[in-house]
Amino acid sequence: MPLQLKAGLLIVGTIVLLGLLAPWIAPHPWDTISMRTRFLPPSATYWLGTDEYGRDVLSRLLMGTRLSLAMGVSATLVSLAFGVPIGLAAGYFRGKTDELLMRSADVLMAVPPIMLGLLVLAVTPPSLWKTAVAVGFVYIPPIARVTRSVTLALANEEFIQAARARAESTSYILFREILPNAWPPLIVEASLRVTYAILLGSALSFLGLGAQPPSSDWGLMISEARSFIDRAPWIALAPGFAMCLLVIGINLVGDGARERLDPRLKARVGKS
Amino acid sequence: MLAIEDLTVRYRTPGGAVEALSSVSLKVRTGSTLAVVGESGSGKSTVALAAMALLPPEAQTPSGRVLFDGTDVLKLDAQRRRRLRGSRIALVFQDPFSVLNPSLRIAEQVGEGLVYHRGFSDERALSRAIELLDEVGIANPRAVARAYPHELSGGMRQRALIAGALAAEPELLILDEPTTALDVTIEAQILDLLEDLQARRGLTMLFISHNLGVVRRIADDIAVLYAGQVVEEGATERILQAPVHPYTKGLLAAIPRLGRGRTRLASIPGRLPDLRAPPAGCRFAPRCPFAVAASALPQELRHVGDRNVRCCRAQELVATAWPVQDEAASGTLRAVLSPSEPILRVDGLSKTFTLTRGFGALSFEGWRPVMRPVRVKAVDEVAIEIAPGEVLGLVGESGSGKTTLGRAILRLIEPDRGSIRIAGEAVSGKPQKALVPMRRAAQIVFQNPDSSLNPRKTVRELVGRPIERFRLAPSGEVPGRVRALLDLVRLPAHYADRYPHQMSGGEKQRVGIARALATEPRFIVCDEPVSALDVSVQAAIVNLLADLRDRLGVAYLFISHDISVVAHIADRIAVMYRGRIVETGPAEEVMRAPRDPYTITLLSAVPTVDGPPLGKRARDEIAQR
Repeated sequence: MPLQLKAGLLIVGTIVLLGLLAPWIAPHPWDTISMRTRFLPPSATYWLGTDEYGRDVLSRLLMGTRLSLAMGVSATLVSLAFGVPIGLAAGYFRGKTDELLMRSADVLMAVPPIMLGLLVLAVTPPSLWKTAVAVGFVYIPPIARVTRSVTLALANEEFIQAARARAESTSYILFREILPNAWPPLIVEASLRVTYAILLGSALSFLGLGAQPPSSDWGLMISEARSFIDRAPWIALAPGFAMCLLVIGINLVGDGARERLDPRLKARVGKS
Repeated sequence: MLAIEDLTVRYRTPGGAVEALSSVSLKVRTGSTLAVVGESGSGKSTVALAAMALLPPEAQTPSGRVLFDGTDVLKLDAQRRRRLRGSRIALVFQDPFSVLNPSLRIAEQVGEGLVYHRGFSDERALSRAIELLDEVGIANPRAVARAYPHELSGGMRQRALIAGALAAEPELLILDEPTTALDVTIEAQILDLLEDLQARRGLTMLFISHNLGVVRRIADDIAVLYAGQVVEEGATERILQAPVHPYTKGLLAAIPRLGRGRTRLASIPGRLPDLRAPPAGCRFAPRCPFAVAASALPQELRHVGDRNVRCCRAQELVATAWPVQDEAASGTLRAVLSPSEPILRVDGLSKTFTLTRGFGALSFEGWRPVMRPVRVKAVDEVAIEIAPGEVLGLVGESGSGKTTLGRAILRLIEPDRGSIRIAGEAVSGKPQKALVPMRRAAQIVFQNPDSSLNPRKTVRELVGRPIERFRLAPSGEVPGRVRALLDLVRLPAHYADRYPHQMSGGEKQRVGIARALATEPRFIVCDEPVSALDVSVQAAIVNLLADLRDRLGVAYLFISHDISVVAHIADRIAVMYRGRIVETGPAEEVMRAPRDPYTITLLSAVPTVDGPPLGKRARDEIAQR
């Protein structure tokens, strides 16, 4: 196993585990307000200090892990659910279908992601699951593009002709013949999107359009800590650092996984 | 002039170091041509790269020297190597379609070396480039000099590349499969040109090829490479007439010959040894019918008569021929052809491709814009008929429309016009959904074994899917059917669990054939089924297809650019040229007395390994006498 995949799995695995176990391992209640413990710097009791309401930053961070991961993964699932079929159809049918789907994707891509997220959320009251859908929606075009380019190349392969020569249905060809071969680049792209989605989700929460107080989303934590950054920098630093670590970890996994997932890469031996 | 001494080359790969060449020694005498012959994986391209000191960074040379005129090329620094390459040694690559830079004019690429190495001015380089283009037989060299590569045909590009290689007046010309990507008629022209240059310039050449017929026309000496070792070396005619090493014997026996009619070809069983851990003894022993206990010991190149052979039994095998297993002698098991309705009847089939559409088709007539799309008639009013159990060989060069025809018959490409009937059922004019019965009766085998099998499916899934798709057996019986099909194409049952990348090219092609047979078809389009395979493997696949026809009574449309392969399996031959069938007839008749001028050209262009030499040099000699 390549080193980067190991390192990535270690980082992501640890974070996921911590997030899952958060309610049991958190040293303090994450949402109990206590005016006597406001702005305490990191100490033996409060490892990462406390925030403006006297809540333990470490406990909030651990609970927030779940929100951030859920945001990243569910948003990416949304963009995969729409982007993959769109890309498959555009790459396989070509011509007018391709133009229509891909030009629509271009329009979507022309709008800055944060604006698009804002647009979706501004018209309705914000909630976490809606943020996830909005973020997923924003990242449909890149997923569709990657799927399309792989499909374009695969559609010319003779095994697709062979499938047509035994009268396979179009959906069989798209999802059973082409899709399994499209996974390696898609997984890399999707892992990249998970990180983007976490960042965008946090950004939206930061702007007050995602998770609502008192929940402890990382973006929301940074947003709330913003006013006290000169007095208590640890409140903003901890979630920022955690986010950074998670993004790096997921990227390492995505890159390392590509090599493992493609059987052809493993088989390649020197040329004659 | 060039001497390779004890050269070992290893490539570092993720799976371990692969030994591409093991202690190879070769000598090219000044003014002569040495051909290095071998199949894929033999290390022949590595020889060319080593001679040019162009080995990639992942290559290591634990031993050996490459002496050019006494200096070791491998030890030179980058600067000196570059000077040597451009001026005294030149290389012509295999694929003229990818070697030329598409955004530079031909003259710039031909004259590049002159400007760089000789300090020619641009004008002088241009005029010299035009002279060179003229010398390599390009008509209207001035116009070609100004053209871009995409405006030239494959043959013209290869000529331009040779002109570029000759520009710096090299003493040694290295040609790595220079004609493999070209059609036979073009190949014949390029070989004529090379013979001509040999005679006129006294060039020394190192010629790398897998094609013994081509080599015969051009080389004085041959070195046969197998699994990174020279197994036999000597004078060309001697080796071709009386091969001594078993591998050379097998290779020569496996080559389909014109004028042999429908016989089974000899084939070499097995595959190359794993070069990550090359066997200590004879590397050919596992595939060799003559192997004895002593074959397991390291083999030395030893002198046998007029050549060197790496085989401990060389002396006793001099007069022994490669054994031809006459499995299922042709004709005996043939299903009796009844004069019933043809399995395939095609009439007036046409397909035109539009190459440029939209703005690409826009051109100007004076100031007036007109739409003038470029159209190519790929298939033009074609009519063919195939009886049940009959093999129709379809021969043509690249671009003749043979693949389009094969796919249009199965409606994988929608034809513009014409009627198609398969097994008595009209196929043309029906919607794709109504074609399911036809798709079961008619199948297809593809050219490229790497592309025709889905890399993410096991052999069991690949071969079993058609059975499930057409519900030919209850799901419990599918594994048994798959095993029977693998047995039919002579693959062991445990191959069912393999993925395509775990098999060799020939084995993949067998899986492709098994998949086509899974629907119990009565007609199969074989689209260049052996073109991507080595000669020794090609023979086995052609034999297999012939056996299957005899046992199952399947009819084939056997498409190939190689008329000698077609002649071995086809009952009738149809010759295709620019979208039209120019000649059809019984195979023997077409081969013996071709009527159409194009068929005659095609037949005379095929390089052969026996019979009278067909080369220009030889023709001239005959004319002089």
